[in-house]
Amino acid sequence: MDATEIPLKAPAISADAPTSDVEQIERALIDASTRVPVLMFYTSAIFWLLFGTLLAGFVSFKLHSPDWFSNVSFLTWGRVRPAHMNVMVYGWASMAGMGTAIWLMARLCRTVLRHPLLLVAGAGFWNFGVLLGVGGILMGDSTGYQWLEFPPYAAIVLFVAYSLIISWAVLMFRFRRGDQIYITQWYLLGAFLWFPWLYAAAQLMLFVVPVQGVMQAAVSWWFANNLLFLWFGAIGLGTAYYMIPKVIGRPVYSYHLATIGFWTYALFSSWTGMQRLVDGPFPAWMITASIAATILTIIPVATVGLNHHMTMQGYFPLMRYSPTLRFTVFGAISYTVFSALGVLISLRSVARYVNFTQASIAYSHLGLYAFFTMVIFGSMYYIVPRLVGREWRYASLIKLHFWASVYGIGLMILMLLAGGFLEGANMDNPSLAFSESTQTILPYLRGRSLSGVLLTVSHFVFAFHFGLMLFGLGRTSSVPTFLNPVETEGSEAHI
Amino acid sequence: MKGLIPLLLGIFGTFTFSWVGLTVIPNLQIGHLDPQMDEEGTDVYPARKSGMTERGSHVFAANGCFYCHSRQLRPDYAASDIDRTRDLGPTPRPKWGERRSAPRDYIFDRPVLIGNMRMGPDLSNMGKAAPAEEENASPAPSASPAGPLAGTASPVPTKSPANPSASPAPAGSPSPKPANSPATSTSPVAVAAASPAPAAGAKPAPATQAVSAAPSPAGSPTVAESKTGEPSPYSAAWHHRHLYSPRSISIDSNMPAYRFLYEKRRIAGERSADALQLTGSEAPPTGWEIIPTYDANCLVAYLMSLDQSHPLKEVKGAAPAASPAPAAPGAPAPAAPPPAASPVKGGQ
Repeated sequence: MDATEIPLKAPAISADAPTSDVEQIERALIDASTRVPVLMFYTSAIFWLLFGTLLAGFVSFKLHSPDWFSNVSFLTWGRVRPAHMNVMVYGWASMAGMGTAIWLMARLCRTVLRHPLLLVAGAGFWNFGVLLGVGGILMGDSTGYQWLEFPPYAAIVLFVAYSLIISWAVLMFRFRRGDQIYITQWYLLGAFLWFPWLYAAAQLMLFVVPVQGVMQAAVSWWFANNLLFLWFGAIGLGTAYYMIPKVIGRPVYSYHLATIGFWTYALFSSWTGMQRLVDGPFPAWMITASIAATILTIIPVATVGLNHHMTMQGYFPLMRYSPTLRFTVFGAISYTVFSALGVLISLRSVARYVNFTQASIAYSHLGLYAFFTMVIFGSMYYIVPRLVGREWRYASLIKLHFWASVYGIGLMILMLLAGGFLEGANMDNPSLAFSESTQTILPYLRGRSLSGVLLTVSHFVFAFHFGLMLFGLGRTSSVPTFLNPVETEGSEAHI
Repeated sequence: MKGLIPLLLGIFGTFTFSWVGLTVIPNLQIGHLDPQMDEEGTDVYPARKSGMTERGSHVFAANGCFYCHSRQLRPDYAASDIDRTRDLGPTPRPKWGERRSAPRDYIFDRPVLIGNMRMGPDLSNMGKAAPAEEENASPAPSASPAGPLAGTASPVPTKSPANPSASPAPAGSPSPKPANSPATSTSPVAVAAASPAPAAGAKPAPATQAVSAAPSPAGSPTVAESKTGEPSPYSAAWHHRHLYSPRSISIDSNMPAYRFLYEKRRIAGERSADALQLTGSEAPPTGWEIIPTYDANCLVAYLMSLDQSHPLKEVKGAAPAASPAPAAPGAPAPAAPPPAASPVKGGQ
């Protein structure tokens, strides 16, 4: 692209430009048009988040206290765990991500949301699909493929729901105003198009025309990994590209970097996944290709990280006040850590020890929680007040939510990583009995359960706060809720 | 970015690249393998799963066993899976496997449950670890779900003079039975007709000794009853007991108990042959017994069918299946074997 046409301020994110009254009213109208569907997505997502958190706690405790409820078939560990994973992936993360994506799309296309009923129906179907799927898993209908455990009848419902949602997104794009397609829109458009292809390809190759033998495992890991990157990762990064410049009122540092970051991300991260099957019964080239792609993801990670960092340069103190910024920046930093860990554990010399251990759980949680979920929390703190016309009531609750989440996820990742490495080292030593390796990790699993308690507190606090907003019990004020009282001048207007 | 078209093309292009590269091309390479057989067309491996074994794999998947038990062995240059032995069993302990896993091992599996976590030991060769004679009876290729409850298909225990000291109806394996019973090959709860060999060091417990009839020709009842009532490790009876009460077998185990796969019922007349042999607080009250459901029997049939010991042409360095390769359990792992040891050549 031509350098002269790079706008240093994308129109929709220039918060410090004097906005005309017309533009203000226009924005208010757009926000109002998204109110019902976005709140519906958020409310459902938070419901699933609480449900998934309870399941997670159960799974975590049962791993070191295995005799709980061993008479009850639908509470056995091997069913509750996939139920937890799928509730989090499809119930919480997907719904919350779609809620945020819808709002961002409407804002960035600068057009009111048409046919909200389509979206409301889509959300309804999606909820039904998740409910059906989780019920199926608990009743013993799990398919046995990671992140695709939902039985086919639930997958069909999800697909119908999704086609309602995507047709709306296409419609929205069709009616967009202005030539400029902002970075966030690249990511969101990518996510909206990649997801159905990914999901359909996996469903076709696993259930409709099943591939033979180990190819099923390859397809299922290809799906799981791409879901993490091309769906959640794309929505998360797109959201961060909107929220960070928006809150600090400063354009993105470099469009060039953003372009490089986006295309290398799409190219390399989609080729990762097979490194999770390292040295398994597969042609070695597949695994090597994925390891190489994982290492190459350093390029998008570095460019995106640098871009965010340079944008934030000099504005980091604002994290003291703005809840959105604090959550989003934490998420963006976690993205870098997540990718770095991904590179580390993909190396064959390291994978020898961490493959088959709890370290891979730490990796997934780093991506899906520390990065994606935190970014989405940040976006919710920004978006919900604009939908309900109230400000968050208690700064203290936001702070509690943030710190409980940060300490919770931090503790969980440290425990699982440390425990995973020790477990793997013992497992690689054939002179030790196998039970040594599982015994080694038990104290760490107890520590993980403790982190689960913190995360449970954090999620219930957030849900309560969200509930207050939903029922119109937020503050009526023209000033957003700051985490700490603002004593200096100058910056508060943007927060 | 100005145009929508380049953006859309890029989005589709990158995705297609990944989809073709990581799923379509590998599928051309390893997605259409045939079983391996020798020139005469015999000795076919792997065999298609059938009946109870097939159903067992679905029980295995539905209850998430694969979240903790992998079913794949890595090559010796990449990990020490091949050097590992099981925690139980006669000395020398059964090994996890003799060779790495290869794509051909899984061609009939659906779903494929290779797993990616080991909170429990690998199961690639679980059936191979079973006591010698049971191993032959266990895959039960002809077993069909005809019997509504496998228990009914099990041979009725007949009082035999060979084991007057055995408890009236020992669990699964110890059950005395005529060795030539026609039901033997069809029953997944293969009743162990143990030879002295596998039972010799069956458990660390010194009391565990097989009381075996003299090695007489077929037809004479043989018994694998240990004095403590402990089934020999990795036998069908052992699996049932392990599923019902993992910690009664290994105090360190953190496997959940799968009691919902078992039924407690009042003994009507004779005790069932496949009733679990339980002691202490686990034991049912007198007059009651714990018997496996059909799903439990299928699951055990599946576990006992797992066997990747058959050599494959594409995997070099695989020891012949017959040689048990007595690896010293205490021997340290070989430091770093040459990396070119046995690469899998998929698609050959």
